Amino acid sequence: MESSISRRDFLKMAGILPLSLGLPPFLRMYNPSQPPADGRKNVLVIVFDAFSAYNIPIYGYARETTPNLSRLAERAVVYHNHFAAGNFTTPGTASMLTGTLPWTHRAFQLNGTVNEAYAHKTVFEAFSGYHRIVYSHNPLVNTLFKQFTADLDEYVPQDRLFLTADSLVHNLLGNDEDIADVGWTRTIKKGEDGYSYSLFLSDLYALSIQNKIAKVGSRYPRGIPSIRGDNYFLLEDAIDWLQNQIGRLPQPYLGYFHFMPPHAPTSTSIDFYGTFMHDDYSPPWKPTDILSAKLTRPDLMRQRAAYDEYILYLDREFGRLFDFLDGSGVLENTWVVLTSDHGELFERGVRGHISPLLYQPVVRVPLMIFEPGRASGMQIDAATSAVDLLPTLLHVSGENPADWAEGVVLPPFAPTAPDLQRVVYALHPKENDPDKALTHASAMMVQGKYKLTCYFGYEQLGNDQIRVELYDIQSDPEEMHDLTDEAPDTAAALLAVLKQKLDEVNRPYL
Amino acid sequence: MCALPLHLWTLILAFRDLSWLTDRTNAWDAVGVLCYGLLFAFLESVVVFLAASLLGFLTPPRWEPKRRFAVLSIVVLVMSLWAMVSQLFFLMNVHVPGAIIAFLVRSGHPARLLYAGVLTVVGASFVVPGVLVVRPGRGTGVMTGLIDRLGLLATFYLVFDVAALVIVVIRNL
Repeated sequence: MESSISRRDFLKMAGILPLSLGLPPFLRMYNPSQPPADGRKNVLVIVFDAFSAYNIPIYGYARETTPNLSRLAERAVVYHNHFAAGNFTTPGTASMLTGTLPWTHRAFQLNGTVNEAYAHKTVFEAFSGYHRIVYSHNPLVNTLFKQFTADLDEYVPQDRLFLTADSLVHNLLGNDEDIADVGWTRTIKKGEDGYSYSLFLSDLYALSIQNKIAKVGSRYPRGIPSIRGDNYFLLEDAIDWLQNQIGRLPQPYLGYFHFMPPHAPTSTSIDFYGTFMHDDYSPPWKPTDILSAKLTRPDLMRQRAAYDEYILYLDREFGRLFDFLDGSGVLENTWVVLTSDHGELFERGVRGHISPLLYQPVVRVPLMIFEPGRASGMQIDAATSAVDLLPTLLHVSGENPADWAEGVVLPPFAPTAPDLQRVVYALHPKENDPDKALTHASAMMVQGKYKLTCYFGYEQLGNDQIRVELYDIQSDPEEMHDLTDEAPDTAAALLAVLKQKLDEVNRPYL
Repeated sequence: MCALPLHLWTLILAFRDLSWLTDRTNAWDAVGVLCYGLLFAFLESVVVFLAASLLGFLTPPRWEPKRRFAVLSIVVLVMSLWAMVSQLFFLMNVHVPGAIIAFLVRSGHPARLLYAGVLTVVGASFVVPGVLVVRPGRGTGVMTGLIDRLGLLATFYLVFDVAALVIVVIRNL
């Protein structure tokens, strides 16, 4: 019997097989792993770095920066008074991951790590029965991840999602990836040092990277999104990668993914470039603070517009991720959390977040929880904290509570009604030695409608002076009217609570 | 001859890195980085060797193999030296002297003058030894003798490469 495929046909078919390697990921079959038989749900935490609630319309912002979040909020539990525990990545993230405040975990210096006692008191340890995977663009978060590797199943290196990522080391030398990567980097990348082990290939490598960058550069008029130097990345790539990961992760899983936008440098896509640069938005004028870098209002307005345009970019990508999760059925058995590690200031002479100031835009961050099966939105106005995330995720997942955590289970998931007199704290202790008592810091507390901030130890104030501000953040969300003189009793009572707390946390270090 | 400058440079920089790597990780990891550096240097040597071999096709067919070998070795060595010099500027934080910059600025055509100067110096560094080797006389003999001696040194580097490969394999088991 004659074969239906001739030798020539077979060779032709074999010839086109390599083309299948070039098939884009979206053409591949989405084939997720099986959910566990015990009904446990997955947990997916998405963090956008330096994402301030102040700049999001669902929290009252006038610019339409997040059309997708507005759409998705109709299916989420939205927290309107959610506070980061610190004003930059290290303390903010460490608090989310450990469920403790910066004065407890002590990771509050730039690139700091948590006190060894908390290295195994993290969300990863608490979810030990889950497949735990983490990724972050931000090097400060990676410093924390490295401290927590014993409780991680997959730690995806930071540069895996950089445009300059080299799959060679990962694919060929995966068992010794860290050191192989250092060897490869020292050999091939001249970088800012201007020298490398290689005499010739490093120049060819630099040329190939330049070509790669040039190809995508035109899509990002303010520069390709980056951390610094040549650490370029595309959020689109990160979201595509995450979608692929979700399909292959063993269930149940706990995924923590910390993406850089809208953190500076604000390099939005050409699709959003210029959207807000010349609109008529004008935030209220606020006086330049003595503790600020004293930037001018036009400068701040320009940078705010660039930041808002960058938010449009992350909003589009989060919307795309969410639609994928929804369309693929992942949402049916996955808790999805969207939040940030801290906010960003564009007022009172400050652009950024690492400054002594703890006004609302730098400490109030978004928190949206997408519960499996939830079809309607819910608004929570009670003050909540980043340290609440760990107890809440454990509670909704049916896991044992973390006895070390300083947060509470968030409404509406808590079995009891929220305590309206609960005190929520945030801190800027960056200049202090983690092994000593806090002597030079800004501390903020929110109780009910009042927010009290205390600045102490700053040279500009006179080292032995403190500065106290009190605001009614319900009626004065822009913090324009300091109430310390008008409501001295309230200010004194709240300050006493704050001082007592500071005394308590300082005691072990005195 | 291709392996020599590449390995030499890698070893100089890798030993320079050894102490800070040991401080930040441990001695075994620091040795690991050195081994990866040597392996990549070996691969680069192969690439440079292939490029030099291709360049060999451009030499006149009437040249005997020794002369051809000597010229190509000179090209590789001089190119390597310039590559080292370009990195040494950064390594030793050397800047172009202010007087030269001032002179270039005063000339009215600084870029043109700079390129012309660099081309002259770099060109001369290739042409002068190249001509000495190509012209009949002692040049070819001296170069061949030098290659023989340096070749022996390069063999040591290849032994290091084998050791590096073994360590890399062990690290990746």
